[in-house]
Amino acid sequence: MNNFTLGRYLPMDSPIHKMDPRAKIGALLIALIAIFFPAGWIGYAVIFAVVACVIILSKLSWGFIWKAMKPMMFMLFFLLVINILVVKTGDEWLTLGSFTIYSDAVIQTLYIAVRLLLMIMITTCLTATTKPLDMTLGIEDLLKPFQKIGVPSHEIAMLISIALRFIPDLIDETERIMKAQESRGVDMKEGKLSERVMAILSLIVPLFVSAFQRAEDLANAMEARGYAPGEPRTRYKVLKMERRDYILLLGAVLLLACMIWLAYFR
Amino acid sequence: MPITFEHVSHTYSEGTPYQYAALKDVNLDIQEGKITAVIGQTGSGKSTLVQHLNALLLPDEGEIHILDRVIKAGEKPKKLKSLRGDVGLVFQFPEYQLFEETVLKDVAFGPKNFGCSEEEAEEKARKALKLVDLPEDCYLKSPLELSGGQKRRTAIAGILAMDPKVLVLDEPTAGLDPAGTKAMMSLFYELNQKYGKTVLMVTHDMENVFAYCDDVAVVADGSILVHTNAQDFFRDSKLCRSMNILPPALIRMRDMLNEKGFDIPADVQDIDALADYIAKQVKSHE
Amino acid sequence: MGIIDVKNLNFSYDENSETIDNVSFSVEKGTYTTIIGQNGSGKSTIAKLITGLLEKKSGSIQIDGLELTLENLNAIRAKIGIVFQNPDNQFIGSTVRDDIAFGLENHQVPQEKMDGIIDANAERVRMTKYLDHEPTRLSGGQKQRVAIAGVLAMKPEILIFDEATAMLDPQGKDEIKKVIMDLHHETGLTIVSITHDIDEVAASDAVIALNEGKVVMTGTPDDIFAHEKKLNEIQLDIPFSMKLEKKLAERGIKLERYITMDGLLEELCRLHSNM
Repeated sequence: MNNFTLGRYLPMDSPIHKMDPRAKIGALLIALIAIFFPAGWIGYAVIFAVVACVIILSKLSWGFIWKAMKPMMFMLFFLLVINILVVKTGDEWLTLGSFTIYSDAVIQTLYIAVRLLLMIMITTCLTATTKPLDMTLGIEDLLKPFQKIGVPSHEIAMLISIALRFIPDLIDETERIMKAQESRGVDMKEGKLSERVMAILSLIVPLFVSAFQRAEDLANAMEARGYAPGEPRTRYKVLKMERRDYILLLGAVLLLACMIWLAYFR
Repeated sequence: MPITFEHVSHTYSEGTPYQYAALKDVNLDIQEGKITAVIGQTGSGKSTLVQHLNALLLPDEGEIHILDRVIKAGEKPKKLKSLRGDVGLVFQFPEYQLFEETVLKDVAFGPKNFGCSEEEAEEKARKALKLVDLPEDCYLKSPLELSGGQKRRTAIAGILAMDPKVLVLDEPTAGLDPAGTKAMMSLFYELNQKYGKTVLMVTHDMENVFAYCDDVAVVADGSILVHTNAQDFFRDSKLCRSMNILPPALIRMRDMLNEKGFDIPADVQDIDALADYIAKQVKSHE
Repeated sequence: MGIIDVKNLNFSYDENSETIDNVSFSVEKGTYTTIIGQNGSGKSTIAKLITGLLEKKSGSIQIDGLELTLENLNAIRAKIGIVFQNPDNQFIGSTVRDDIAFGLENHQVPQEKMDGIIDANAERVRMTKYLDHEPTRLSGGQKQRVAIAGVLAMKPEILIFDEATAMLDPQGKDEIKKVIMDLHHETGLTIVSITHDIDEVAASDAVIALNEGKVVMTGTPDDIFAHEKKLNEIQLDIPFSMKLEKKLAERGIKLERYITMDGLLEELCRLHSNM
């Protein structure tokens, strides 16, 4: 769990950390759209420069960003291999015996790679600088206008925040159940297939049972304290947009405009 | 063969900012065939200590001798799996570990993991279920249909079915009502007296310790503060109070009476003996 | 008429058995009532029926004169605060602060007023230092104190404790028992506590004893403990001091009935010093 970089929050004192989650989520969405305009290599260079500035401002280390990208590298390599075998257009770059590697194969892969890596960089920036709970509040507020078309924005946010609250407890419980079953001779690591299946069952069934019990207890507690999904309620935590949040959003919009210009008007 | 801890230490998350020394230089000799209470405040290291007994946790320093095995720090213990069958560890709220389709299958799960055939395992399961006094009409029910107390008895049967020589119990009566507590403690007493099993019990319940346990080991701040027989432990309740433990009612009464001028012997064992002493001393003043 | 009036209440989880069988009792306003009985006697079920978390089959439940129906469920729930047994499974917020705020949010308390209410109630249960702690950093006793603060914040008239100390260590049990006693002495709240703790029962004003879904006895602790045989039939026990009294009576020492050790001790000292 400690090695999981993608999606992990890193508490630090940076201007990006302090920004309103709604502005950050909004900027993320706009930037993701911007990436998909065919703005050429110049466009990607511009986006990269902007994102690099944000990363530096957020005090995240480049090593951390690299760790988030690493899982993708293998997939991209695999993609490169497939493209080399399949794509036969463009200039001839390299010939090995009867096999030729074409330029389009490599360039297309590079396009995908660059977009993907930029997406990961931006998303990691968001999740690393925003507390999960603040993210939930941001999502709730951003979804609120969609309540009119039936999106239960508050209930979704409540679901996410409760799930987040119980993650440490679930991890502890898993450990406890594993130990209890190991005390009955279960070997979680070795054994025949049938034994391993039983081992997993002996872990999953109790976890599910206890999760359902927990859910029932929680529902009772919430109801007893007056919770009624769908009914109006006030909210304790307030989010306030500051000037820097508007600047971030403006920057994202400018980036998008720039990409559109590069793609269609240059 | 006694169970011995020699200079045992155990540190969680070594090398990280969360490093925490749960056990520090523990030295302990647990007598075979006795019921030993392991007491201490939450966070004192009791759970960490008992999890070394079936090698769920391994010592970072020191040696543990249990049954005929030796667990040395830094070495992977041999015959690990069989140790788990000989030292039965029952966690707190064990009803959470039930998972099989029927009660009988769940209790047979342990024996099967140690090499028993289906028939042998079922035989052992039946024997264990009888020991914990679970009615036969429950055997083919799903464990989830049982009451809380029945679930707990099923879970304990699951460990007893492995026929361990040593029984380690982590707060076995937590959450039970008085009747359930009595039944559970009587079971462990019988397992010790009739079947000779060595019993270690982590508990907060001083009434149980006083009524059923032979020895008491007190864990504080990762090491053993006191290890003595129960009688000596309760002889002077200053020790209990210094550890913020509430002595059993009988002992409290004895001490309060002695403070007010009575002369109740320190080793008074039960309420009848206490009543005898009080009656004699009150009458002699009439 | 009490603040809780239950008449001929019936409920069952399935068709075969009557979980709650024709139960009637009354709880007087401002009193501290304990409900005792074996596990499975229906104690928690009654608590859930009173708060409308379970739907009764038949009978009447009146809270402060108001009949419990589907329509006025919210009004009834606003009068009752209930603290459950499992400290984790009622902790909803991500921090102590957020958890206490949860009830306030549900009751549409204006945001500006929330901080004041949260601070005051955290202070009441002595958890002010921990307001920004996550539940994983709290002990069981601390979590239960937060639960109490959370229900107090909604200004109920009745507090129900459903075996609130059953899953706590001795220190946690003491913490909670102290908070309950303080609330009983310092506020006019009606307190109902489902418990196995004989000492707690001895300290309460009224006791309701249940067995197999029926009310077996009601009365003051003195009344209840006088019927030792009946208590034994339903697998319940009497306080140590009363057991000792009986033993002494068998040996010719006749005493008043004391349900606490201190009372008994005083009497014995008097007898002893009659030289």
